Formats: sequence, structure tokens, C-alpha cells
Amino acid sequence: SAKYCPILTNHKSMESLFIHLIIRGDKDEHAVLCNEDETYDLKIADTSNLLLFVPGCKTPDQLPDISASPQLVHAQIWGFSNCYWELRRQRPRLKKLKKLLMENPYDGPAVGMQEEAPGPKYTMDDLLERIQASREEIEAHLQNVHACEIDGFWRILDFDYEMKLLGHVTQLVDSESWSFSKVPLSVCLEELGSLEPKSMIEHCLNCYGRRYSNEDGQVIYALDEDKVCRATAQLLLQNAVKFNLSEFQEVWQQSVPEGMSARLDQLRGLALLDRSSKPETISLLRIEDLPEDTLERFNSLFSLREKWTQDDIEPYIQDLCGEKQTTGALLTKHARSSVQNGVKVYNSRRPIAT
Amino acid sequence: MVQIVISSKAGEGPAEWLLVELQGEVVSRQNTGLAGNLMGDLHYTKEGVPVLIVGHHILYGKQVKLEKPFAVLMKHSGLPRDEEETMETNQENPTSYTVSALIKKKLIFKTRPKPIITNVPKKV
Repeated sequence: SAKYCPILTNHKSMESLFIHLIIRGDKDEHAVLCNEDETYDLKIADTSNLLLFVPGCKTPDQLPDISASPQLVHAQIWGFSNCYWELRRQRPRLKKLKKLLMENPYDGPAVGMQEEAPGPKYTMDDLLERIQASREEIEAHLQNVHACEIDGFWRILDFDYEMKLLGHVTQLVDSESWSFSKVPLSVCLEELGSLEPKSMIEHCLNCYGRRYSNEDGQVIYALDEDKVCRATAQLLLQNAVKFNLSEFQEVWQQSVPEGMSARLDQLRGLALLDRSSKPETISLLRIEDLPEDTLERFNSLFSLREKWTQDDIEPYIQDLCGEKQTTGALLTKHARSSVQNGVKVYNSRRPIAT
Repeated sequence: MVQIVISSKAGEGPAEWLLVELQGEVVSRQNTGLAGNLMGDLHYTKEGVPVLIVGHHILYGKQVKLEKPFAVLMKHSGLPRDEEETMETNQENPTSYTVSALIKKKLIFKTRPKPIITNVPKKV
């Protein structure tokens, strides 16, 4: 039997919301509603008022202004309800995406006669079946994690393999004495194609550079200094729990391609500095390794460090902000502030077990 | 995981319905249920004020544009099932919804219903 369910939205344009809508969720998840590029939480709301639905019923502005004869129109109430679904825009739950792809990272083509080792692989349709997000949000996140489509399956690269590819590119740039902003695709493919699949070389350039065409119509890349330095830092930091900050900075600068500047501001959301310890230290702390849920994220951050300055904590809570919400508002809601040595710091509102 | 598609009819957009909101409950006189019965009369005054007459009560309301419009969905669940509805959908009979209508304004009646007394005996 047909059942009806009114949905309330707060969407700017109702009509455009209804192009291709899908409700997604596992049995143990809250349902979300997705259109092509947005994700909404679905919650049931009820009212003590009675809601009656009357198709085609006219309001005064829609009735002709004939004061002469009274009009009688029969209108039928189609149905009534006390409850409805409310939509609230929310950030999509994408952490699961990386988790799925990390089940089987790609670390290069199979060697010799061997076939690639078996492991779970996901097409876009598979991902849409499992991730509570819209297609465009999923596509954007795939780009963020440097995933690429190989044989129809979306694969994330093993980080060491990704750095190997990047190393080939930067070494070639160095030996050819190219400017970082003028890296020609065709020469890269020609020179490096014997070492790695051409599609992987091109994928690496897409991840670490900006693609454009020059006057002769050739495809050129401008390498992104921040992305290259950041990846190099991650490679160094993942090998130990903590580093002496000044030693790290020295090694890091020596490890990045000559001509690029390694700067600490490139590491926001990747590494945490401890300026209160002697000597100052730095350690790996990636936002993607932290919990997705807001409360859990704050608990996790406060277990790692009791008091945070706004500047230090900001990169790790930026993604939690709702539409039109600032990190300041988030901190007011989830943390308690105090002043320490003349600096404003935030700590947890509740006792944290460390 | 489940994916349930909501689609709108091809061609023109969904129809526009009106929402009438009442505070309280509507019951039928002889408790025969509401379906098929006449609920009442809706009038508009010259100023456009909606007036609802239900039984021997009269209610005054107002027309309000909904800040958050409603959409009315119709559920289609393939073959009828005897078991309780669950989130699980059968691959051959997936659940889907279509958008039947959009509601952008409502008539809300919040004032206390006044009884209409038609026969006031004159004092002798």
C-alpha cells in the first residue's frame, strides 16, 4: 500500500533539490539523504498540531476577484499527519572511504608473471553503495586522498609507492634543470615510462602539480611546493614517535627538491609542534587519523594534549564546522577556555582519562 | 547498505498542494472515522483571512509562507509483504519514493475555536 511521508527541507531552491535523490544507510547507521553533491541528515520530527494536505486548494491570491457571485469549490483532503521528516545539511561521512581503499592499497604493477595479489577492490558504484555521501562529495574526497581509477577500480596508493613516483619526477626535474612550474608531461612519460606505468607518472603529476597548456599546446605541470614539502615531511615523521624540532627542520629542508622551501606552516593538520618541551619537538598527527564524530574528536585531541591554543587546534577541528559555523563557536561549545602565561588556551569540558 | 531512490515524475515539476494546520484534533461526530466525511467549510474574507467552519465551531486563521517548504513523498514498496517492514530491501522489489507534491504555504488556525450559536432565544 502506498504510504506518504512529508519531508521538510531548508533548501534554497526546492525544485533543484529533487534532481536525483537517494537515501543511504546501513542497518546500524542513521539514514542520510543525498543529491548529486550534498548530504543531509534525516530525522523524524513530530508536532502536536494536525497537518492536513489539500491538493489544489487555492488561497485568496489565486482566486479571481469576483465579488458578484459566491463560488463553491469542492476540495478533498488527501490525508493528514502528525509527523514529518526534517532535513539538515551535514558534512558527509567520508572516513569510511579511505578505510575501504586502505584494505588493499596499490603499490605498483605486478612484477613479472605474477598477478596482483587478491584483495578487495571497489568501483564507484560499490563506493556509492557503502558510503553515506553524495557522488560529488565522494569524487572530491577520492581526489583529496590521491586515489586513482585502475582497471575500473578506485585504488589508493601505498604511501611509499606514491613517494617513489614523486621521487622519480623531482629527480628528473633536477637533472633536466626545469623550472618547477614548467614540467612537460610528454618528456616525463618518455623518460620515466620505463620505470613505472605512464598512467602512474601522470597520476603523480596530477596529485602534486597543476596541469595547464603552454602556447604551443603542450601539457605542462606546475609543481606545488607546499604539497611536495608536506609529503616529504610525512615520509620523515612517520618513522618515529617524536623528533627534535630543529633537527627535523634541517633534515626536512635537505630532503625536499633543491629550490623548494620547507616551512612549518605547510604542516597544518599533519604535524603537531610542542614548543613547551625542551628541546622543542614535532610529531606526526594527521587529521584523517582522528575520529570523525565531533565529540569523539575533541575527546581524542584533549587526551593527546590537555591544553591547546586556538592556532594549534584549529586545523584539527576546521572540518567539523557546520554551515556558517566558525571554529571559535565550536570551541565555545565543546571546550573551556583559560589564560596561561598570557595566552588563551582551551581544555576539555569534562574529565578526560589519559 | 540500502539505497532508496526518490524521484520526481518526468515532465513538469510536482504539483503544489496546500497545507492546513490545526491545533488540536479533529474527530468525527459519531466516531465513524474521518475518511470520506465532510470536514467543514473554508471561507476567505474580503481581506483574504481564512475562516474554517468545522461542525459548530468557527476558526480564524492566517496564510503563511513556509520558510522551509515541504515535499510529499509516496512510497512504493514493490510486492506487498506480510512481514513487518524493515530497512532491508529485497533486491527484486526495491523500495522507492516519488515526489507527489510540494507545499510552499499553509493556512494555520491557531485561535481557539468559537462555537456558533444560531438559535438565541429572545427574552420574553
